[in-house]
Amino acid sequence: MGAFDSLFQWAFLVPLFPLLGLVIVGFFGDRMKKAEFGGWVAVAFSGMAMVLGVLIAVGEALTPGRYTDVSYAWLTLPGTQSVFSNGFSLVMGTLVDPISALMLIVVNVVGFLVMLYSIEYMHHDKGLPRYYAELSLFLVAMNGLILSDNLLEFFLFWELVGVCSYFLIGFYYEKPSAASAAKEAFLVTRVGDVLFLLGIFIYFATYATSGGGAGWAASGFKFTTGSTPFLGSLVGSASSPTLTIAGLMMLAGAAGKSAQFPLDVWLPDAMEGPTTVSALIHAATMVAAGVYLLAVVSLFLGFTADDRLAIVAVGGFTTIWAASMAVVNTDIKRVVAYSTISQLGYMVLAVGAGFAMVGLYHLFTHAFFKALLFLAAGAVIHAVGTQDLLKMGGLGKSMRITSIAFLIGALSLSGFPGFAGFWSKDDVLASVYSQVGAHPLYWPFLLCALATVFLTAYYIFRAWFLAFSGDHPRDPTLPHGHDAPWAMRLPLLVLSVLAAVAGLFAFLPSFSSLLPGANVPPVYGSTDLVLTAVSAGLGLGGIGVAYVMWGNGRVFQLPSGSPLQGARTVLLRRYYMKDAYDWIGLHGVYRLARAADFVDQFVIDGSIRGIERAFSSLSNGMRRLQTGVVSDYAAYVVTGLVGVLLFFLFVAPWIFRTMGGG
Amino acid sequence: MSLEELAFLVLAGIAIGTALAALLVRELVHTILWISVFFVALSAIYFLLQADFLGILQLGVYAGAVTILLLFGVMVTRKRIFSREAATGIGPFPLALALVSVVILAGVASGLPTQPASVQTYAPAMLSQELFTTDGGWLVLLGLTMLSALAGAIYLVREGRE
Amino acid sequence: MTDFVVAQFVGLSAALLGIGLFGILTRRNFILLLIAIEIAINAAVLNFVYFAGFATGPGGVSGQAAAVVIVGLAATEVAVGLAIVLALNRQRGSINVAEATTLRQ
Repeated sequence: MGAFDSLFQWAFLVPLFPLLGLVIVGFFGDRMKKAEFGGWVAVAFSGMAMVLGVLIAVGEALTPGRYTDVSYAWLTLPGTQSVFSNGFSLVMGTLVDPISALMLIVVNVVGFLVMLYSIEYMHHDKGLPRYYAELSLFLVAMNGLILSDNLLEFFLFWELVGVCSYFLIGFYYEKPSAASAAKEAFLVTRVGDVLFLLGIFIYFATYATSGGGAGWAASGFKFTTGSTPFLGSLVGSASSPTLTIAGLMMLAGAAGKSAQFPLDVWLPDAMEGPTTVSALIHAATMVAAGVYLLAVVSLFLGFTADDRLAIVAVGGFTTIWAASMAVVNTDIKRVVAYSTISQLGYMVLAVGAGFAMVGLYHLFTHAFFKALLFLAAGAVIHAVGTQDLLKMGGLGKSMRITSIAFLIGALSLSGFPGFAGFWSKDDVLASVYSQVGAHPLYWPFLLCALATVFLTAYYIFRAWFLAFSGDHPRDPTLPHGHDAPWAMRLPLLVLSVLAAVAGLFAFLPSFSSLLPGANVPPVYGSTDLVLTAVSAGLGLGGIGVAYVMWGNGRVFQLPSGSPLQGARTVLLRRYYMKDAYDWIGLHGVYRLARAADFVDQFVIDGSIRGIERAFSSLSNGMRRLQTGVVSDYAAYVVTGLVGVLLFFLFVAPWIFRTMGGG
Repeated sequence: MSLEELAFLVLAGIAIGTALAALLVRELVHTILWISVFFVALSAIYFLLQADFLGILQLGVYAGAVTILLLFGVMVTRKRIFSREAATGIGPFPLALALVSVVILAGVASGLPTQPASVQTYAPAMLSQELFTTDGGWLVLLGLTMLSALAGAIYLVREGRE
Repeated sequence: MTDFVVAQFVGLSAALLGIGLFGILTRRNFILLLIAIEIAINAAVLNFVYFAGFATGPGGVSGQAAAVVIVGLAATEVAVGLAIVLALNRQRGSINVAEATTLRQ
């Protein structure tokens, strides 16, 4: 028994604090004298959740490898009443383990800072109580997700964060583009979610109905028993085609939530929401849930070798796919959004290579520097009222603190040696490199990831130079920027520090116990230093190219006759993926729906109407028989009598004769 | 052909003729007259079969009571007793239906034995013994039916019912 | 002991029943309708009486007993029918069944 055991028992309070905030802001926020009061209430509750979450994480770090499961089975069926021979139960519970402790830090620290930042950022918005209620609901769901101790509870909160994402993207619901972006995000992630649910069913059907996993359903499909995976030795032995399919379904769910290729179209459009929402949900936490899912599955359920290859392929390809689109974009938020997709690709890549902890390590550092980038971009947008990089310029003079914050984030993102992103990205590359012998197809995806290092450094410094370097804005009508007030400055400051040093946490022995087996600092072989040098060199090269083309207020113009113009158009049109989806929707799904509508209207409804009409005309005919004249009724009776006589005198004897009877 | 058989055929002819006449004449009072002859002819057939009790019953109930009742019905529903009934068109369908049933029944009758057979006679005492012992239940039921019919008839014709 | 032909009796019954049905189907006067019904019932009663006579066992007398019951029932029916005639006549001033097509006015 450790000193922190009683603390771990109270982990369920972490989601409950924001729930209280949600209830207060959601139901009474509109009646408060000033809208900010409600915001402060939500900030206070998320602060309490942060304190408790960080305390739990510290406790977990100090007692390595402890798993604390507190659960309540709210439905239990005996084996005779379910398909699972040992019975079946539905469980709500909290599981405090190293990786959920790590996620508690990420979610609650970033969540608290974003909420604090929003007080000023959303100051003028009349929907402030709604905003804080939805943000609190998101924190409830996200904390519930990372503390889930079984697959079904995990899925429940997974869907809940999805719906929060929908609410918050569509926060400015009067704007048609925001409303349609919210719908797009919801529908595209739903594709992944349906497959994810299917995968859960396959796991249940494979493991829980017989053999060593027979007790799994009775326990409520828990991830662990004690401190080992519930399915124990079955996890390692997973190799059947069925389990490969189940793993691919999990990958599909993760790809939907983490915007991996080909389900990546929704994340850039999700930038229609407030920038703070982009920072919290679409950079640091919710989109990381997909990676967290992959990590959880790889730890507790197991992937087959084919699954891992598919995950490596998706992650590796997504890195360069998204980074290439960021290269040409001129919307400051969208550049960062593409960057998020690309960086999530790194995490997926690491998980696929078999290093779930390395993926989570990158998730941890990425959450801070990407939230920083978004909040700094938000400060710029707040100050100058535009998101177009080409209109900005020279903002470094008037917004010095914001400029430095964005610079720190950019350095961290591009893997400048010493910054947080450097350590984790290097760890990802080294871990994948250590596995290239496993399959020849690992090589191309490693090369994709390496090329992305260069692209990443280029596009983020392009954005920084365009926004902050030079003497004055390129659009002279732009208002004079100024640094944000303290409620926005403080989160920038804290995140700047974390973006710079978060990577070094891994060198603390107790912190690294939150990432068991991550091999931090990365030492996988003698070639690691070369790899580090290559990736750092690529990053520095990217920064250099960006300086040459965009530094000091320069604007690089691609010659109009250049063959690269075509490539630029393709990239700006996002490889025509969205057009392709639209085409499929319009010509495939819509036509199918029209056909189904036709069948529904004319075949199904038509037959019903036909039957109705037949009965109606039949009854109209029958009604004419009911004259009310007694003689007519007598005629019917006599007709019946004649019929009966005919039957018994002629028809029945004839039947008997033909049947050969007496 | 025996005398009895001849008598039966004559009576049967009278019965059929009077029944047709009762339905076809245009004056209701004539109808009543013809139907009373019909009832008497049937009663004669019963006597011919030596079912004396039934013959007397037929005379009393039908030729007496029912005929008087029908006559009474005609009297109270007509302002003038000898008014002619309006001619009613006979539809082809009812006529065909009646004809078909007659043909079928005649077909059935023609299949029955044509050889004369002796007929059993029962003393009225036997009949009354049967009625009041073995079939007593039917008699009680008949009595109950008559009682309820009486009540129903009074209900139907009572004053002020609208 | 007298001898009769079964077919002739049944033929008479059949003819009377046909006449009765004809009357029921074609007449519109309620009293004529009652008379037609009486003809049809009498055709049935005749059958009971003949077959009581043609029966060979001691139970044949129950045919005559049934005839007695049916005659009683028929008389009852005439009484009720005439009550209906009176009610109809008072209500509608007519005993034509083709006019009395509704249960109440």
